[in-house]
Amino acid sequence: MEQSYGIFLYIISLATMGGMYAMLTLGLNIQWGFTGLFNVGIAGFFAIGAYVSAILTSPETTRHLGGFELPYIVGFSASMIVTALIAWGVGKVCLRLRSDYLAIATIGIGEIFRLILKNETWATNGPRGVSMVPKPFESLAEPYNQLMFLALVLVTVAVIYLLIEAACKSPWGRVMTAIRENEPAARAAGKNVERFRMEAFVIGCMIMGLAGAFTAQYLKFIDPNATELTTTTFLVWVMLIVGGSANNKGAILGAFLMWTVWSASEILTSRLPDDMAIRTAYVRIFLIGLALQIVLQKFPSGILPEKRPKPSGSHE
Amino acid sequence: MIALMEFINFYLIPGIVLGSIYALGAVGITLTFGILRFANFAHGETMTLGVYFTWTLMQITPFHPLVILPASMLLTVLVVLGIDRLFYKPFRASPTIMVVMASFGIMLMVRSVIQFVWGVQLKGLVPGIQRPMVLFDTLRISPKHMVIIASAVVLVLLIHLLLSRTKIGKAMRAMSDSPELARLTGIGTEKIVMTTWVVGASLACAAGVFLAYDTHVETMMGFKLLLPMFAAAILGGVGKPYGAIAGGLIIGLVEELSSYPWIGTEPLLNPGYKAGVAFAIMVLMLLWRPSGLFRGRVF
Amino acid sequence: MKKLLAVPVAATAALSLSAGVFAGDINVGSVAGVTGPIAELVAPIVAGRNLAAEHVNSQGGLLAGDTLNMVLADSACDPKAGVDAGGKVVNVEQVVAVVGASCSGATNGMVQSVTIPAGVVNISDSATAPSITDLEDNDLVFRVAPSDAYQGAALAKLAYDSGARNLAMTYSNDDYNAGIAQVFEKSFTEMGGTITANQAHEPNKASYRSELSTLANGGPDGLALFAYYGSSGIAIIRNSLENALFDKFFAADGMFDVSVIEQIGADNLKGNIQITQSASDYDDVSYQTWAELYKATGNDPKAPYAAHGYDATFLIALAIEKAGAADRSKIAAALREVANAPGEIVRPGEWEKAKALLAEGKDVNYEGATGNVDFDENGDVAGIYGVNTVADDGTWANELIK
Repeated sequence: MEQSYGIFLYIISLATMGGMYAMLTLGLNIQWGFTGLFNVGIAGFFAIGAYVSAILTSPETTRHLGGFELPYIVGFSASMIVTALIAWGVGKVCLRLRSDYLAIATIGIGEIFRLILKNETWATNGPRGVSMVPKPFESLAEPYNQLMFLALVLVTVAVIYLLIEAACKSPWGRVMTAIRENEPAARAAGKNVERFRMEAFVIGCMIMGLAGAFTAQYLKFIDPNATELTTTTFLVWVMLIVGGSANNKGAILGAFLMWTVWSASEILTSRLPDDMAIRTAYVRIFLIGLALQIVLQKFPSGILPEKRPKPSGSHE
Repeated sequence: MIALMEFINFYLIPGIVLGSIYALGAVGITLTFGILRFANFAHGETMTLGVYFTWTLMQITPFHPLVILPASMLLTVLVVLGIDRLFYKPFRASPTIMVVMASFGIMLMVRSVIQFVWGVQLKGLVPGIQRPMVLFDTLRISPKHMVIIASAVVLVLLIHLLLSRTKIGKAMRAMSDSPELARLTGIGTEKIVMTTWVVGASLACAAGVFLAYDTHVETMMGFKLLLPMFAAAILGGVGKPYGAIAGGLIIGLVEELSSYPWIGTEPLLNPGYKAGVAFAIMVLMLLWRPSGLFRGRVF
Repeated sequence: MKKLLAVPVAATAALSLSAGVFAGDINVGSVAGVTGPIAELVAPIVAGRNLAAEHVNSQGGLLAGDTLNMVLADSACDPKAGVDAGGKVVNVEQVVAVVGASCSGATNGMVQSVTIPAGVVNISDSATAPSITDLEDNDLVFRVAPSDAYQGAALAKLAYDSGARNLAMTYSNDDYNAGIAQVFEKSFTEMGGTITANQAHEPNKASYRSELSTLANGGPDGLALFAYYGSSGIAIIRNSLENALFDKFFAADGMFDVSVIEQIGADNLKGNIQITQSASDYDDVSYQTWAELYKATGNDPKAPYAAHGYDATFLIALAIEKAGAADRSKIAAALREVANAPGEIVRPGEWEKAKALLAEGKDVNYEGATGNVDFDENGDVAGIYGVNTVADDGTWANELIK
């Protein structure tokens, strides 16, 4: 009985982390899937959101800026606002770059943000991180605290999903797709391409910042290692592409699926014979890589491919 | 005078050594970028793999790492061609983002194989330290740095000959500039792709071995160089091997020079931000001149 | 979504039923950063943990002959992965206690969001961040690795006593080294020493010559170096010696490894480097016993925190035995009793003896390879420090700092 209760708790944590990744993939989907903006600076925006919320809500300490102990809602909103403002600044400078160049510029800028958070010790406690971040519902009894937090994450994901779906079906969304598919045509039709691209970029980054805020609350701790590239940028890309770019359901599916593979694979590999000692950990990373290859080859357009509106002209 | 020598000894020469390593790595990145049209995240792991091949061969033979280098280059190339056949080839006709994701998977797979086979403990290609030779009283240069710089120059010359004198080299450059044009050369696309991998993997292996020769061997060494190498490739202009070499040298030099006390006695930039220098240059370059120094492709 | 989640769930459930809990298996979580930035440091620590489990199992096992089963999970030095790994061992594997999770950041996240809420006791064997002391932990978080605050001060005193008055210092910008460096700077200046320059450096760069050249300005007596040997420490010593920028080094235990000698060469280091290491009195019989046993597994007993890994695991085994049941809350309560005086002294490798004593209802007091491991009210140990220098035979020689 205890065993199944434990598995139940583990599934809650799996779904919670999956939900936070789903926010990241949805944010990225607005940028890449619908507008074609190649943003590889996810970790930077995620980190800004996480630190803003952690510093605003955590108790007083001598180690870093803080002691505001503001309510969660302020932390979440502030992280979205700050991320959006910074994204606007970045967009102003970078969005005129195309495709791969935008990718390299955003990865550079994202890394510079992370270096700032790591080096400005007075504000962030540098590499030692912000600790004792409060977590919503933590005073409830187990498992209700975890269930409530999960519910909060899932509701947030659902709200984001519905908003994006509505936006995509609106004229706004069609302009986005038009820009992605044929920018000169969109321009010729009198659309202000720059403004639309900027909107998509800022909204996407804002959602990434929110995901960062949720992660900081969930871990009750944030440090530069929690925002490293492999699991906060590259993995998010993998999730979106595996799930199905330009399809919001696909983005969500990819997040939950890949996180489950990432996390639960360890339960398998820890069952390997003991004499392989810690080498099983490397086997796990290998299997994750292999699983990714298989999914990519089996589902070249993602598991849930993009659905195009019916009587549209032939783009390809 | 003393200040000048100090500048040369501790900032300029290290910058050139680091720059040569970045440059060799960046050539592979820029060629895959230009010819296969994707950012290869597994390039750092290719370097690491080459280093471990070299280390292994050094355990069974008595030779200097530079003597072994051609053999380990060959092994690295074979592995990379195998990877291409199995994991990249199926995506030739797909959007490039698929190959980028595949290369991310390869990065994880190759790294874990290295960690599984060789373990994570540090190893040394050449243990001990080498005190530099002192020339003209004050100029200090270590023999291994001369070896690295000289070998890098030789490799760059070989690449130059390949690209400018051979048919396949010319086809590679043409393909990187414009795929349509390349078809006119009459050389099959697959052959060009294979050559790209051969060149990229050999140079990656060499860059890794030079780095290990200067420092030591460990499983994440290639990955740690990945972002500066990307920066070098962009700086030089995508698809431009000569640009990548220049870009690598510039990034290496600027990283070292950023912590020189240009004003007063404190480093100009807190060395904690050293890693950011490459990115900052790259971003500024993109904004100022997106095609890079050598007018590479703009997608 | 439900359906898709059901697949991994079913797979997980099937696995845990088939392979998970054999009758007579008691699971203990072994969370460690086996992949990630300090993988090379973590491997010997995990070997230390596994050795303790092996001793328990080969000398009668736990309670009624149950097997102590160490369940490894990867924290990758990342708080996200640490929380996930902690959740897996605590919930899926139903461990009764956890050792880990290597890096301070991963440990901080894991204990706050998993083990404390679940009421599972955690002993950390290498997290040294002072912030862990402050946590509201319901007396569930313990450390056999002493807080940085102690080691930084010990090293400062050592440097000052050796005659250094003007030191340059540099630290790798990570959670562990930045912390020790901070304490060192404060202690050293309070004693009357001068720090001529203090710079953070980014780990994993290929060359540190330019940083070192600036640090060497003004001719300080030596360099206080806070780094992991793999990610930047060896490179810094090499660059310093090759260019005659520094020849004297003071370092903390992130630098302590046999590969430093292998890579730099004993002759170059002899008389020039002093490394503090937490809690290993090489003359102590507990340490010697352990070192012999550990060496027999093919590992180097001087590897940083390997002895801590052993002690943490052994203490948990003792606490389980003392509690008399694989019960999370009882184990937490029993931990102090087996670690602290009073009681008959038990040393590494002496599981049979400890088991017999506990069966007779007597108190035991574990004196580990790392020292007396007596926990204070915060669950920290005071820690003793050794200083390591290079001996004539080209190995590390250790002397206790009194």
